[in-house]
Amino acid sequence: MYKALVACRAGMGSSMLLKIKADQVIKENDMPIVTEHGNLDSLMGFNGDLVITMEDLALEIKDQVPYALGIRNIVDKVEFKVKLDAFLESKK
Amino acid sequence: MIDALLAQTRNTSLIVGMIALIGLLLQKKSASEVISGTMKTIMGFMIFNIGSSAMSSIVTNFTTLFNTGFGISGITTQVEVATGMALNTYGTEVALVLLVGFAANLVFAKFTRFKAIFLTGQHFLYFACVLALVFIACGLPAPVTIIGGGIVLGFCGAALPTLCQKYMNKITGTDTLAMGHFNCIGYAFAGWVGKCIGNRKSDKGENSDSSDIKMPKFFELFRDFIFSIALFMIILFYVAVIACASTGHLDVVQKMAGNDLWFIYPMLQGLQFAAGMSVLIYGVRQFIAEITAAFVAISEKYIPNSKPAVDCPAIFPFAPTAVVIGFVGSFFGGLVAMAAMVLLKSDVIMIPAAGICFFSGGTCGVFGNAYGGWKGALVGSFIVGIGLVALPLFLYPAFANLGIAGASFPNVDYNIIGSILYNVLHFFQSIFGF
Repeated sequence: MYKALVACRAGMGSSMLLKIKADQVIKENDMPIVTEHGNLDSLMGFNGDLVITMEDLALEIKDQVPYALGIRNIVDKVEFKVKLDAFLESKK
Repeated sequence: MIDALLAQTRNTSLIVGMIALIGLLLQKKSASEVISGTMKTIMGFMIFNIGSSAMSSIVTNFTTLFNTGFGISGITTQVEVATGMALNTYGTEVALVLLVGFAANLVFAKFTRFKAIFLTGQHFLYFACVLALVFIACGLPAPVTIIGGGIVLGFCGAALPTLCQKYMNKITGTDTLAMGHFNCIGYAFAGWVGKCIGNRKSDKGENSDSSDIKMPKFFELFRDFIFSIALFMIILFYVAVIACASTGHLDVVQKMAGNDLWFIYPMLQGLQFAAGMSVLIYGVRQFIAEITAAFVAISEKYIPNSKPAVDCPAIFPFAPTAVVIGFVGSFFGGLVAMAAMVLLKSDVIMIPAAGICFFSGGTCGVFGNAYGGWKGALVGSFIVGIGLVALPLFLYPAFANLGIAGASFPNVDYNIIGSILYNVLHFFQSIFGF
């Protein structure tokens, strides 16, 4: 099981929807990923495998985290699936 | 016994927990999920209250220092603090407006041509506060407040994002997303300003998109939300304390600082404010989680042609530089508005806040950029920035009478819709004399 942090800048609105959509895709495709919800501060001491966030933020934090997954269109489930698959592929 | 039950409903956390419970039951979740979801929502709301009361006490200190130093009331445009104060006094009304608002949003999306489902829970709560306060300020009884406020809230949630839709489609390149942030009137305006600028530009065939602009690294600091709030509040405290010192009121500062040195105290207060904000956000995250999930599930199941209206950072990836330009533009707009209030000798001075400038101003930047490039982003966010600081002046006197003083609700839609509603209600009152 991989541990993912779903985060945005403040950790309120947009990351909430990111988490809901990510969870939908993970459940539909039976991916071995569990998500938790946080903001930039949650990156401190985060020991999981993956951070799911908006694309602009992903570029900023990519050097601080093991794997930064940036989403461009928050409701595009195909984009979620492609990017989550790419993460799983990188772990093989 | 009835009295005891009624008194119990004054507990806002419990009502918010009930909203989550209804949502979980409607989704037919398992018993364990229903219990833990409800309890976590109640705890989340309690955490929110702990954060907001910590922030309110800092704001009270700031207002005291600012008034002492400048001899005028300085009001922070910090929506979280104003909401905290409103919830302390009118929590039940606000929470029930919120509940009716959720239901009304679904009904409007199902049966009218306004298809947005407003998924930004905290913004729904803040707007519920404004609407409840408007009804209460007009002296209307609680049932009218709850039903009336809820219907207006639900209608705004479904309809206001429509104003932004054509810009959203241009920004995101698809027609799948709506803007769920109650500055829709401001964003549409910024987009329109950008379009005016863009039309002029395109004659010359010049490309001025914000992505070609390199912003100084310094501004990127403000992308970290909590950090920028801390920095900003520290500066405000230093300004107020220095004003106190230079007008010979250093004793007031020293008394408030207690054991802290007077020149370290402002920094600690600023950090304490941001710490309060951290707690508040943690609480928001926890209490909106189940409610938003239910809202998403219900709307996807029963209103398949609805459009999710999401919080503003969702569009930041489409124009990251425009976000920073918008922050700068709206902040300067806010400073101009503040200066105008000083010059025009306004009774109260609204002070721009970092959080609102980053998120709302940044979003204005993205909208202005859509057609108008970086110039559209700058001009659009500058004008809306003036509005973010100046518009709260309309409703502030009415809210201050209800005890919501020292902080205000800055967002454009809150004040425009709120002021219209306030005046309409007053108009009817003067005719029918109720």
